[in-house]
Amino acid sequence: MNPAENIARTFGIYWPNLIAQVILFVLVYLILRRYAFKPIVDMFEERRRRIEEGQLNAEKIKQQLALAQQRYEEILAKASAEAQRLMEEVRASSERLADQKRQEAIAEAERINQKAQESIQLERERVMAEVKHELGRLVVEATEKVTGKVLTPSDQQRLNEETARQLATA
Amino acid sequence: MRMGIYFLAEQISVNATPFFPNHTWFTNSLLVTVIVAALLLIWARSATAKMELVPSGRQNVFETIVEALYTTFEGIVGRHMIAKTFPLIATLFVFILAANWFGLVPGVGTIGFGPPAHGPLALEEVQRPLLRPSNADLNMTLGMALFFMIWWVIWTISEVGVVGFLKENFAPKGGMKGAMWFVLLPLFLFTGIIEIISIIFRPVSLSLRLFGNIYAGETLLHTMSELGSGWPIPLNWITSVLFPLPFYFLELLVGILQAFVFALLCAVYIRLSTTHAEGEGEGAHGH
Repeated sequence: MNPAENIARTFGIYWPNLIAQVILFVLVYLILRRYAFKPIVDMFEERRRRIEEGQLNAEKIKQQLALAQQRYEEILAKASAEAQRLMEEVRASSERLADQKRQEAIAEAERINQKAQESIQLERERVMAEVKHELGRLVVEATEKVTGKVLTPSDQQRLNEETARQLATA
Repeated sequence: MRMGIYFLAEQISVNATPFFPNHTWFTNSLLVTVIVAALLLIWARSATAKMELVPSGRQNVFETIVEALYTTFEGIVGRHMIAKTFPLIATLFVFILAANWFGLVPGVGTIGFGPPAHGPLALEEVQRPLLRPSNADLNMTLGMALFFMIWWVIWTISEVGVVGFLKENFAPKGGMKGAMWFVLLPLFLFTGIIEIISIIFRPVSLSLRLFGNIYAGETLLHTMSELGSGWPIPLNWITSVLFPLPFYFLELLVGILQAFVFALLCAVYIRLSTTHAEGEGEGAHGH
């Protein structure tokens, strides 16, 4: 018996026993690999793939969200600037319109005022003419009654002119 | 001789006991291997029969164990090798653990055949135990180690190739060129030969470590149970249960530890031989 064989016998190693144990272990390995570990490992890999996919999607969504946020802010800023510009325009336009309306109103008021002044002047002149005429007539009548004579048209003319002159200076 | 329960155990034999003279391969340790394998397969199959993406019940427990192993060994062998190697490493771990713990079940090593003693089913000694812990048989541990080493060679060659393997073990490392390369070549050839010898002895060290621990544990439990053998009945019966009790907890720990050490060393061996292609100096040569 060689030394290796001697050691093997000491530890109870025999080829048939060894082969029988190996065959059993190989069977266990093959069955566990096929029916236990492979499905579980496939499941892990599937979960891992889904998680990685989910993380990628989340990252993509995050980027899209950031982009959307940026776009939203840009649009908002643009809209705000546009609104500001429109407000300015409206304000300027309304001021211009108000100014125009004010000017028109002032002009209208002046026109009405002027018209009223003219009307008053005309009325005044008409009244003054009537007053002059009436006063002249009254002066002629008074003079005729005081003097007891009938005044000639030239006297009447002169008296009327004298009365008008005095009225004008009064 | 009759079959019965041996209450006061003696020194257990290094050899597994065959049941039939003409079929010496069918031993009591092989019977335990068959039982353990059957239990494992039933458990694993029941846990994975109706797999669901959201696990529950037995699938949950099984997945938790497998996931813990997967994560642990993935960190050692690397992501590129885990899919290939995990089934074998996990089988080694689960099988060794189950076999080790099954060896602690009362009756393993103490139920068998021998000369009758006083009391029902009692024996003077168990000359031929019905059950023997699988890993207390060197045929089992050596068989597993050899099977692993066959796969180790296949994986190593498929990953780094024969030239890569030889270069990794024999060629000077550290990016040396010119005259220095030739000067150091004999030294690296010598260390390479030592490395090859250490690789050849890996199955021996793997199998002897596991066998030694489990066989020693079995012997320890038997020794503890026979400490009170000189005492009167029923005191010796009680002490045969009480004395080994603390050591059962130790053996529970040894059982899982040895399973983990075996699987871990296998993973480390794979790592050492399959990651060198990625860059020199990665991974130390240690055993």
